[in-house]
Amino acid sequence: MKLLVITQSRNRAGRTVQVKKEVNADWIRVGRAASSEVLLADPRVALNQGLILDRDGPVYTEGEVGNLTSTTKRAVRSVRLNPGSAVDVGPYRITVLDTPEGYSGAITVELVRPQEDVAPEFMARANKLTLRSLHLPKRWVALGLFAIIAVVFFLLPAGRVLDLPWKGEQSIAMASDRFWNPGPVMLAHQPIELKCEACHEEAFVQVKDGSCLECHQKIGHHVGQDMQPAALFQGTRCAECHRDHKGVKTTHRDDDRFCVECHKDVRGRANGAQSQNVSDFEKDHPAFRLSIPVDKGVKRVRMGSGPIEESSNLIFPHEVHLDPKGVRHPDKDKVKLDCAACHQPDASKRTFEPVTMQKHCQECHRLEFEPAVTKRQVPHGLPGDAITVVNEFYANLALNGVKDSFEKAFGVPGEGLLRRVGQPSDAQRQNALALAGKKASQVSEELFEVRVCRTCHAVLKQDGPDGKPVWNVAKIRANNTWMPHARFDHKSHAQSKCADCHDVAKSKRSQDVAMPKVESCRECHAGSQPSEKKVTSNCLLCHGFHEQQHPWDPGFKPKGKTRVAQGAAGDR
Amino acid sequence: MRHQSILEYARFRWLKGALLLSVASAAVYIWHDPPLKPYGGTWLGYTLGTIGALLILWLVWFGVRKRRYATRLGTAQGWLSAHVYLGTALLVVATLHTGFELGWNVHTLAYVVMCLVVFSGFYGVYIYATVPHLMTANRGEDTLDGMLMQVADLDKEIREKALSLPDQILKVVNSSLDGTRIGGSFLRVYTGRDAGCPTAKAVRDLPEVGKRLSGDTAKLNHEVYTLLLQKNEILQRARRDIRFKARLDLWLYFHVPLSIALLATLSAHVISVFLYW
Repeated sequence: MKLLVITQSRNRAGRTVQVKKEVNADWIRVGRAASSEVLLADPRVALNQGLILDRDGPVYTEGEVGNLTSTTKRAVRSVRLNPGSAVDVGPYRITVLDTPEGYSGAITVELVRPQEDVAPEFMARANKLTLRSLHLPKRWVALGLFAIIAVVFFLLPAGRVLDLPWKGEQSIAMASDRFWNPGPVMLAHQPIELKCEACHEEAFVQVKDGSCLECHQKIGHHVGQDMQPAALFQGTRCAECHRDHKGVKTTHRDDDRFCVECHKDVRGRANGAQSQNVSDFEKDHPAFRLSIPVDKGVKRVRMGSGPIEESSNLIFPHEVHLDPKGVRHPDKDKVKLDCAACHQPDASKRTFEPVTMQKHCQECHRLEFEPAVTKRQVPHGLPGDAITVVNEFYANLALNGVKDSFEKAFGVPGEGLLRRVGQPSDAQRQNALALAGKKASQVSEELFEVRVCRTCHAVLKQDGPDGKPVWNVAKIRANNTWMPHARFDHKSHAQSKCADCHDVAKSKRSQDVAMPKVESCRECHAGSQPSEKKVTSNCLLCHGFHEQQHPWDPGFKPKGKTRVAQGAAGDR
Repeated sequence: MRHQSILEYARFRWLKGALLLSVASAAVYIWHDPPLKPYGGTWLGYTLGTIGALLILWLVWFGVRKRRYATRLGTAQGWLSAHVYLGTALLVVATLHTGFELGWNVHTLAYVVMCLVVFSGFYGVYIYATVPHLMTANRGEDTLDGMLMQVADLDKEIREKALSLPDQILKVVNSSLDGTRIGGSFLRVYTGRDAGCPTAKAVRDLPEVGKRLSGDTAKLNHEVYTLLLQKNEILQRARRDIRFKARLDLWLYFHVPLSIALLATLSAHVISVFLYW
């Protein structure tokens, strides 16, 4: 089929313009689609609006024609294009012309209802079709949110640190700068929680150690600062281990990682380190070191490298005192003693009160020097004081003693000088003085060397400046704190028997040391990793990081309370 | 050529990239042994925070990039694919950056706003994966403009034909001609409905009113009724179309302002953290 298509339109001047086009096809497509042979470029027309077919002459048909196996969905309209007739296709009108020579037909296509003509009032009611056309705010919401957040969450609180016009207006800043607080500070820091500048002194500068040390003045360095290994900690800030705002309980982690990092090879890290390498209490911990008082100061001895003896200068067999049958008592029959008879917890319950003569020994070990006559005792302490008391007693007895006491004490008939009738003669006075002096010397010697002092003390007899003998009682160095830097708490071990750790029942000498070995602790304590039926134990359970001075610092002087008894024979 | 979703762009290149970033972050997080507990201030915290902040800036830059039609730096499709997948990975990176430490503060606010942005983005992806199909099916061969013009055309035809109908019918028809509207309010645009649409009412009422007619008037009435039916059908399609368009748009009214708000909270978070270092 050969069709002449004349597209007719009007130019701006209102003159009719025609474009002729020859179409040669069996099916001529009519529609908005660009591939249509008869192109009706108007949105009101479908892409494929219709077809012009040859049915013994051109026929315009619209809709789905279907085939033998399907029904049509839409009604089909077919119009035979007879010359002179016209078909409205959407806003277009197709007018059929007389068929020219050589053609199957000829049509004119003209837009008869242009878009601008169409119902402007309806279009006015249909002009707000998108959210944008409704002026739904996007940009303003964005800018508004940005501004609110910037002011409330930044500019107002920043007034506390930055030089902003409202700097110093506490009420404004306080109201909102808690929004900057990343989390609760630990309990001890809560009094200064809202005082940010207490720690954050300078804007954009990390918290300085000085802020911490302002309160924590007495915190110890891990090693002496004059020590070379202090260089290991050069530039290390408090905050590297201690992070606040991480909950109310703690600022640091309680595990072994930091310790082990250096102490797994502590000698490699620090020349001259005396401690041994350690990586875990259960698997790799050296034997304990004991601090033992010696002639001058205290020495530290590692257990396991040979027998360790204490040189307390005291004569004391635990075995005798802990005899299950009991020990003799001057008044009672026999008394059974237990550990608590002498070792009483101190106020902290962590360790023990020092054992003293007066409190713990003297009830049995009485310092009576003339039991036949008196229950008086010599004072415990300086030998000279004891001798004076003895001298005075016998001098008084020689002077004032009644007959019974005089005879029992001196072993000769008579009574005190002043009790005799008449004025004593010179010879009598000399006699009485000699008697008292001789007896006092005898009793003193017996007191120091045989009967009383000697029981517990090492006693050395020497000649005094006036030719009279003096007795030197060896100074007592009773140890009270064996591991001064271990955080051992007896109270929290109260469920155990003393003997579980301190085996003294068979100890015959005071030199025996009854401190537990690391293996004893390991019976209950595991290392940093949990172990069945054991207490998981990290370094910090027993050791402190911030000791005033670290034990391996040669300048270190253990400072246990009453470590070494003072005085000639100890004040106790 | 088969349509390729931005989700499968370049054989899931950005999905792989995002997975790699997420898995690597998680692996380092698990391996990491912080001084006290994981949080934004450890070296890993700073690293993840930096990655997260740079990702956010880059993701926000998409709003600029998508308007730069002339740029030759990647394709818009590739950028969108990366935007979606790396935005998802940001969720992992930022969560690990927090160390699961959340509270009532600007830091958590930044995190929450970021999550809102990402989740509104997820919703956008869902919308863009489902609505365009429906939109195409609804439009058929028409455009929205075409539909409106068809309605206007029908109006003109109806007006001409209805002139000689009885007043009672003319009134019904005129209310459709003069009162029918599309869109105009958020509710009508977003629901795609107009409960009081005069055309729908006319279609409901006309058969009843027209029962008493006969002869040519009845035939004319029938023609007018047919045109009103056509108009009503087109109106419904047009309303569905603007509803679909609104759904395609609405999530951006959250996604974009929240992204800008995120820039503010992120800045407040970063600056305040270093101000009180």
